[in-house]
Amino acid sequence: MMELVPHIINGLTLGLLFALIALGFTLIVGVMEVINLAHGSLFALGAYFGLATIGGDWFGSTGLGAWWLSLPIGMRYVSAIIIGPLLAAGAGMIIEICLRPTYGKVPLYGLLLTFGAALVVEEVIRLVWGTGEQNLTVPQAINGAFLMGGLIFSKYKFFAAGFAMVAIGAVWFFLERTPYGAIIKAGSHDSEMVRALGYDLSKLRLLVFGFGASIAGLAGIILSPIWGLRPHVGLDVVIPAFLIIVIGGVGSFWGAVLAALLVGMSVGITGAYAPAWSMMSMYLLLIAVVGVRSRGLLGHKSALEN
Amino acid sequence: MTLFKVENIHKRFGARVVLEDISLSVEEGSVHGIMGPNGAGKTTCFHILTGFHAPDSGRIVFDGRDITGRSPHQIARMGISRSFQIMNLFDDTVVIENVLLALPEFRSRGFNLTRSVFDDTALLKKALGVLDQVGLADLAWHKADALSYGNRRALEIAVALAAEPRIVFLDEPTSGLGLEATRQLTELIRKLRKSYTIVMIEHDMGFLFDLADRVSVIHWGQVIAEDSPDALKSNKWVARSALGEVA
Amino acid sequence: MISLSDVSARGGSPMTPAMGLFALLLLTAPFWLEPIGLYQYLGIEIAIWILFALGFNLLFGYIGLHSFGHGAYLGIGAYAFGLFQQEVAVSLWGGLAVAILAATIAGAIVGGFVSHRRGIYFALMTIAFGQVFWFAAIKLHSITGGEDGLLGIPRPDLVLGPFEFDISKNGTLYWFVAIILLISILALWRLVNAPFGRVLQAIRQNETRARFIGYNVWLIKWLTFTVSAAFAGLAGGLFAMAQESAYPDVMSLHQSGLIVMMVLVGGGLVSFWGPVLGVLLYFIARDIIGGFTETWLLWFGLMFMIMVMVRPEGLSGLIHVVRQRFAQAPQNSITPADTPEGA
Repeated sequence: MMELVPHIINGLTLGLLFALIALGFTLIVGVMEVINLAHGSLFALGAYFGLATIGGDWFGSTGLGAWWLSLPIGMRYVSAIIIGPLLAAGAGMIIEICLRPTYGKVPLYGLLLTFGAALVVEEVIRLVWGTGEQNLTVPQAINGAFLMGGLIFSKYKFFAAGFAMVAIGAVWFFLERTPYGAIIKAGSHDSEMVRALGYDLSKLRLLVFGFGASIAGLAGIILSPIWGLRPHVGLDVVIPAFLIIVIGGVGSFWGAVLAALLVGMSVGITGAYAPAWSMMSMYLLLIAVVGVRSRGLLGHKSALEN
Repeated sequence: MTLFKVENIHKRFGARVVLEDISLSVEEGSVHGIMGPNGAGKTTCFHILTGFHAPDSGRIVFDGRDITGRSPHQIARMGISRSFQIMNLFDDTVVIENVLLALPEFRSRGFNLTRSVFDDTALLKKALGVLDQVGLADLAWHKADALSYGNRRALEIAVALAAEPRIVFLDEPTSGLGLEATRQLTELIRKLRKSYTIVMIEHDMGFLFDLADRVSVIHWGQVIAEDSPDALKSNKWVARSALGEVA
Repeated sequence: MISLSDVSARGGSPMTPAMGLFALLLLTAPFWLEPIGLYQYLGIEIAIWILFALGFNLLFGYIGLHSFGHGAYLGIGAYAFGLFQQEVAVSLWGGLAVAILAATIAGAIVGGFVSHRRGIYFALMTIAFGQVFWFAAIKLHSITGGEDGLLGIPRPDLVLGPFEFDISKNGTLYWFVAIILLISILALWRLVNAPFGRVLQAIRQNETRARFIGYNVWLIKWLTFTVSAAFAGLAGGLFAMAQESAYPDVMSLHQSGLIVMMVLVGGGLVSFWGPVLGVLLYFIARDIIGGFTETWLLWFGLMFMIMVMVRPEGLSGLIHVVRQRFAQAPQNSITPADTPEGA
């Protein structure tokens, strides 16, 4: 039994990382009723912006660039964590503006538009940063590995999992404990109410999409040191996000977190016994959950079904 | 003979009890009215009688067969047809196809791939016949969404009739109609009652009392009175609780 | 506005100008493809994708179920064809039959899970199931050959009774694929104009009403899902033959999204021929814009976004608008010529 502990820890960490990926996605699905297929691209975009920030690409080979590179990596990393998501939010807002003609139509159009956006963003990334694998450097303090129970754990993974926990808590706090959250949630069910309260619905949507995109970008910066950074990384990471949303129940915040942890655990524990099948367990979990409860773990009937 | 019988229907959605205890009995060949204030549970009642929702308890019997909990398409195939208060038409296509789709002959040849829909003259004639009943035969080849409001209401009824039902449920057929259109509808239902048993929810008391043989008054999820229109008019309790709010 | 469900003046007769034009292009393509600077293989690829797209549109456009995981069934067909050639026997008909059968079974199973879902839920579930197959194809290394896929799938001889034809060259394979496509198009055209096809469209327009006039909507949706998967399986079998391999890439979310994109751009939501136009446009863009710039997908993606925003009825809708402007005659009421009016 004891030898399982590291795998459980590994699984929980992975689950938290998955939750971080799914967070922005579930926010946009829940509030805007749009499946954002560009989520993964925004994830990648955030990571590439972070890369550019750490590498000082913005300044080119000017004196300013040299000065920037002379700063400690920790400082550059922190500014990447701030600048990357902000720029991803900007890209997200552009997508939201493009989405406007599709509101009030069948949800299909939103899905298609974001699919187009995903293609465009991916191509832009190829154009700007090339097709090769890139590496996002992280500060020494959170780099490296340590031993526990005979297994090697990476420090960075723990940092990322902790970061994910803080992010989940912050988003939850924002949605549940601040007036802005209340308005956003009202907007998802009752757009009339939002207007009656004197808020501009289109501005609200813009902000929500930007917020969701910034979380995606943040996840990109935090997670790309673990999973690597390629132009199509978006597609690779958005898939677990989809499965998690379906397992957890579309639009349910805690459903997504719960599902992410479950998926992480099942991947981690299968990894202990049949490493080749570890990722497959995620799909089997999906079939099992959906077979029993087609709306997902915490899903409820939603307007999305019409 | 009792064609349609509802016994002690109870329905709740979550914590809200919508139908407390509904019993109805509809004689073959009669027009049965259902009235009551908004939110009394009339439309929910219709939804249950036509299979859209299953009741929590109670029994629905049609022509001696228990149909409780059957799905809408099974109930429809038995000869129970309905119209909707909010219009439910096939809007991308022509008027005649709305009716064609509902014809039992059409349904039974659904998997026949050798014939095109609009090559079957016999079926088309039949559909035109149904449209003629509601006065829409001239508009048969117009698109359904291009019809006027009143004509759409008429088409709503035509689709229900096309299924060749033994009993027709009409959900607020006069809803949104002007005086003249309502008068035409009265004529139509007078004509239809010769061939069909009709149950209808209606707000317009004049219209309902003019046509119905029996009227059930639903309030607070219960049938608070059931009688002939004349007897109901003199029932003070009904006048106060329901009719007052309706009129 | 035009709609898929518009009643054409010719009813279900396959003798329409569009059908004639299509058959003409299809059957003359081998003679002009190379002279205009293209190549034989492109014709095969386009024909296969048209077959896939038209079968997909039964689900997407006609019954209105917006699947985002349809590439899976194409892939399953391709693998089934390849495995049959490699493990059982080198046989064209056997391989195609197994390809169709495998995709049909997979479609029937997934259809059972998803057919009662609607809207975005349906799309999400189809994505998820599509990923299941994609992932299985990568991971079941001993059967599918993993990421590389099955290589060296033969192009078996075409056996028709006593006759045997060698279709291993692109030139001859094209004829086989073109004839299969033509037969499939005629079958699909019959299907959408037959009562069953009109019922599909009725369900798209108003599911509730369809249910209340006696149609078992769930069953019909499930059947459509399955039939559509069967067409994908056939296309997949041909694809395995064309590529002489089967690989997981065609089952990815990316490919499943591309087919939706092609169908929509062409106008699959408003016209039977929409998917055909969409596939043509995609491959022309790939080969022609792709000849100028590596990033053709960027421009195609941008064009697609604009189309979704401005003209979601796609190319067919655009053609319709242009034709109406020239014809100047509003077609408000269409009366089939052979109908007894006012009878």
